[in-house]
Amino acid sequence: MPESVFVDIDMYQITKRGQNICGDAFITRKIAEEQRAIAVLSDGLGSGVKASILANMTASMAMKFVAGNMEFLHSAEIMMEALPICQVRKISYATFTIVDCRASGEAHIIEMGNPGCLCMRGSRPLELESRLMESPRWEKRTMRFSRLHTRPGDRIIFFSDGITQAGMGTDAFKLGWRREGCRDFIAGALASSPHMSSRKLAREIVGEALRKEPATVAGDDMSCGVFYFRHPRALVLLTGPPFDRGSDRRFVDMLRDARGRKVVCGGTTAGIVARELGVLIETPLPRARTDIPPVSRVAGVDLATEGILTLTRAAQYLEQGRPADHSNAAADLVELFLESDIIHFVVGTRINEAHQDPTLPVDLEIRRNIVKRIAALLEHRYLKEVRIQYI
Amino acid sequence: MKKVTVRVCSGTTCFVMGASNLQMLHEYVPEELRDWVDIQGAHCLELCRDRNYGAAPYITIDDEIVAEADLSLILERIEQRVRG
Ligand code: FES
Repeated sequence: MPESVFVDIDMYQITKRGQNICGDAFITRKIAEEQRAIAVLSDGLGSGVKASILANMTASMAMKFVAGNMEFLHSAEIMMEALPICQVRKISYATFTIVDCRASGEAHIIEMGNPGCLCMRGSRPLELESRLMESPRWEKRTMRFSRLHTRPGDRIIFFSDGITQAGMGTDAFKLGWRREGCRDFIAGALASSPHMSSRKLAREIVGEALRKEPATVAGDDMSCGVFYFRHPRALVLLTGPPFDRGSDRRFVDMLRDARGRKVVCGGTTAGIVARELGVLIETPLPRARTDIPPVSRVAGVDLATEGILTLTRAAQYLEQGRPADHSNAAADLVELFLESDIIHFVVGTRINEAHQDPTLPVDLEIRRNIVKRIAALLEHRYLKEVRIQYI
Repeated sequence: MKKVTVRVCSGTTCFVMGASNLQMLHEYVPEELRDWVDIQGAHCLELCRDRNYGAAPYITIDDEIVAEADLSLILERIEQRVRG
């Protein structure tokens, strides 16, 4: 992607009611050296464990072939041969959608069996140039190859048929929500919130599909993935006082001069920031009991929290997948992380002086380790661009 | 009766050492004193840096520092201060 474009990739899925494992698989990979991002969505035949295994096998094979730049038609034949065939329906395995985009802004999409993806330029649907290909060995399994030269503001949205078939058979949606219904919904959603993150959009689409289902019960696995090409949203987070007191000014300037969102984690750090910015810190007591310290308010800072306990909890939320629905400082912090693309941690390395209880888990090593843990999660699991700087 | 301002530290040390149980302090203040007590939160009061103040958690009642603050101690001190 050209320098100033970032691809925000996320997905959301829900499992067919009554199954405890989703039969759709979604995997993503960023290949930093090639400045390339790839996602594969595969829908396994049927539902439950068997579907999940088929989908995961298909998705990981497809990812290997695409990432390895193998000739894809041949790769697809290998995949089809490797997977079992359904005896009843005489069709094989699982479907897939592959989205592969590169630094040039060029996106390649390969689809087989899933509903056609949607490309949006702002809130306007784009027509894709596509080519159909069939393997002589596998009739009726047509693959569609498409290309799109993306621009900032474009999105590629793809889903399993649980979404397009939502509500099928009900009076209002005899044929289901359909790709057209989904497209109109997306156009409307993007017209009213043009900067919606991939995470939110995927959730909204799945949520809307679910509302089409009788009694809002998912009759099939529903998955939706979104690629959003956009100018990156930055976040800078300061935690810990700088090693050298003389650096306080420079430390706070890094916050003040940064573009994007600003976060401070730690009481001492907040104190330095407030002093240098010449503002006050306000810490209201929370309305309800929380098990981590409350947020503070510092003018010029989007979020100010306590340090170690809050960061530790945020790491737990990131590890568990999504933050629990309650609101506390760590959930607010995770929300900001997930709504950002480029995250810059500035970690002060002064030892917190003379803590009265040496057994307290407050020291430099802990701060460093917890920041590293969060950074690794954001980078690998949430595909963010992360930088850590020690001062 | 005299109006007092109470600040409950919710910095790391104090929170871990027991201030987490003081977040709902206002609910424990007896009815007749409520109008006389203004309870606020605070980020680290920096008392935990200094060995001279006793152990965390700390709260302040106006300019008085209360160390090892637990509910009964705080309520007792509030009562004394308010009733002068
Ligand atoms: S954490 Fe309470 S005084 Fe430092």
